[in-house]
Amino acid sequence: MKVEDIKAYIESGILELYVLGDVTSSEKLHVEEMASQHPAIKAELDEIERSMELFAAANAVEPPAQLRDRVLNSLLTNFGDDNNFPTKHPQPVKENVIAMPAPKANGFYKYAFAACFALLIASVVALFSVYNKLQNANTQLIALNSTNQKFSSTVNFMDHQLSVYRDTSFKVIKLKGTAHLPNGLMLVAFSPAKKKVIIDMADLKMPANDKEHQYQLWAIVGKTPVSLGVFDKDAADNSLMKEMKSVPVAQAFAVTLEPRGGSINPTMDQMMVIGNL
Amino acid sequence: MSNKSKISLSEEELVLALRRHEKIAVEALYDMYSSSLYGVISRIIVDTAVAEDVLQETFVKIWHSFASYSTEKGRLFTWMVNIARNLAIDKLRSKDFKNQNKNQELEINVTFIDEQRNTVYKPELLGIKDLVQTLKADQKEILELVYFKGYTHVEAADELGIPLGTIKTRLRMAIQQLRKHFN
Repeated sequence: MKVEDIKAYIESGILELYVLGDVTSSEKLHVEEMASQHPAIKAELDEIERSMELFAAANAVEPPAQLRDRVLNSLLTNFGDDNNFPTKHPQPVKENVIAMPAPKANGFYKYAFAACFALLIASVVALFSVYNKLQNANTQLIALNSTNQKFSSTVNFMDHQLSVYRDTSFKVIKLKGTAHLPNGLMLVAFSPAKKKVIIDMADLKMPANDKEHQYQLWAIVGKTPVSLGVFDKDAADNSLMKEMKSVPVAQAFAVTLEPRGGSINPTMDQMMVIGNL
Repeated sequence: MSNKSKISLSEEELVLALRRHEKIAVEALYDMYSSSLYGVISRIIVDTAVAEDVLQETFVKIWHSFASYSTEKGRLFTWMVNIARNLAIDKLRSKDFKNQNKNQELEINVTFIDEQRNTVYKPELLGIKDLVQTLKADQKEILELVYFKGYTHVEAADELGIPLGTIKTRLRMAIQQLRKHFN
């Protein structure tokens, strides 16, 4: 580049704009390149810079005094962040620091334990209450079961009794009262095929026997009375039927009042009812 | 603050100390350049509080980007004053600042405009009277716009209604005049 060109470049005013920062980045690079290549341009730039620096100094305005501390503090804080600048940290003013009471470390566990304990007590109470209810329920269940069994056995028994009436092989014989017992009446069911004798206790119309005596049922086979067992007439006894000893054939049935346990031979004058087939 | 407590270093010493992250470098930097930088900032931004904020931002930015400064590219102050001017202009053109000024408009519109466009140097500044006298009116005008109002030379050309080349020449003449004055 010729000396004239350098002079023209200097006089273009680009160097002033460069110093004022009023250039594009490509212009900036160009000026820096020219300055590094041409000492005259570098010297001119330096002169302009010095002038502007002096001009700024001549136009300087002192910032407020307190701003110095503010700015320096913000910079020193930044240095502190960089960890490469020793800074004095003011000691904390201990007089102004009132220690807060340290929170008790076991506070949480204390409350947790109390809560657990309360829960335990509540659980025990609840468990006890539930246990009692369960016991009551069990008792009721047992009672219901026994009642159920009673009903079921009663039903079975009555089914059995009903089968007697349904069974066509049974004959029902009416035993009527003798002179001793004009109103006496007894029903005997007799099945020669099954050799069964059943007496009807429900409609038995005979007086209650005392403790020394019992009624005895007899079957008259040919001319011979055969004992079919004893029974009691008891108001408390609510059984409907009673099965007596078996006999294959009989012409008649009779009931006598005998000493308790029965007799081998019937006491004929104590005959209560009699009926022929 | 008295001048006695201020720290002053040569530019070379200051640059080295700043590169070594020495505390004294920060204080020297502030003491040596804060008033010159604040002179530029406070003329671009009239609101004192905002101007102070910008000065602080300027020093923070100077520190953070100091690695990008190279002595070969020019003087330290040139680099710093451009940071300060750019931050001030950014602030002036920022939305917040414009909104703030809108709120002021009705009441202090006149004084605000006067302050913004005031071409009279502050009388308390040393040597200003001489300096003003050395500059021609058109030189003073262009220096005002570009140096203290943050105009680019293109904006100044628009503002003054004169060609770009003339702006550049006038600016150069003004600075030549300053060089003579300071030498």
